[in-house]
Amino acid sequence: MAHTVIGSSIVVDGEITGDEDLVILGTVKGRISLRENIIVEPTGVVEASVETATITVNGSVTGDIQATERAELKTDCRMVGDIRAPRILIADGASFKGNVDMDG
Amino acid sequence: MATRNTPVATGDAVQETIIGARIEVRGRIEGQEDLRVEGRVEGAISLTETLFVEASGVVLATVEAHDVVVSGVVVGDVTAANSLTLEPGAKLVGNISTPRLIIADGAAFKGEVAMGEVPAATRERARVAARREAAQRTKGSSKAAPAARAEAPAARAKAAKAPPRRPSAASRPAAAPARGDDDEITVVVKHASLKRGEAPPDEAPAQRPARKTQKKSTKKAAKKAPKKKAKTARARVPARGKRRVNRR
Repeated sequence: MAHTVIGSSIVVDGEITGDEDLVILGTVKGRISLRENIIVEPTGVVEASVETATITVNGSVTGDIQATERAELKTDCRMVGDIRAPRILIADGASFKGNVDMDG
Repeated sequence: MATRNTPVATGDAVQETIIGARIEVRGRIEGQEDLRVEGRVEGAISLTETLFVEASGVVLATVEAHDVVVSGVVVGDVTAANSLTLEPGAKLVGNISTPRLIIADGAAFKGEVAMGEVPAATRERARVAARREAAQRTKGSSKAAPAARAEAPAARAKAAKAPPRRPSAASRPAAAPARGDDDEITVVVKHASLKRGEAPPDEAPAQRPARKTQKKSTKKAAKKAPKKKAKTARARVPARGKRRVNRR
């Protein structure tokens, strides 16, 4: 289990929901709603509102993120949108524009 | 196609996309690589490579791909540029358009089959259409989720318009005999589709109505067959009857 992968040449336009880890190397537009972990790889592009437990961004995210546990922006990632999570990590070199809410 | 059992966090090149068993995707999926569905997809799928619907997979979508291999459930029209394989345990409800169709023992299928050279053309058109769509989307604000959702039905509607192109498979009767001998399975399937084609002249556009027409047609066929037998039997009965009466 726990091995959903959106490959680098794949475009998903719509809604992804579920109960499983998600690795994004391609493009996802619309909405993502998970109770597990999301990893956006360097090639990954997310143009969606995201609800998840944890998210790790190496690629590009445009849209609001709501994480129940943790949101992590890695070096060289690009993020535009609001982040709402109890723990937010932003690495040196990450690009971010938006609001941060750590109230939990 | 490399199968993966662990999450990929390395960012190396993955040639296969997997929709896991506990994932649901609503909307449109398109791309240039293999897609393996173990979960659920609703909407539309458009690939230049192979779509695998695993035993646990459920696809309620209009499907376009180079190859399609179904072990699970697919409800929707399927256009495969090369081949469509229904493995044992597969269930497919919808119309099929593909040059090669393989149906294994234990697979269930309900719908119309069109075998011709059309899919390649439609795939090209679909690809062009998809690009145009994508271009339009990127122009518009793709950020808002409602907009994306609103587009999904439009995409479906577009996909639904695709089947009417199939009649241009008028080349099909001509092409069929020429190709006929080399693929036994193809012949078998063709035979099956002919049977179906004989009774119901019009296959309804929606899938559920299609079921009804098929049921009706089979009933009709069932009724017709006994009648013929009865008539011939009656014709013979008087002669035989006389003899029988004489004997008894």
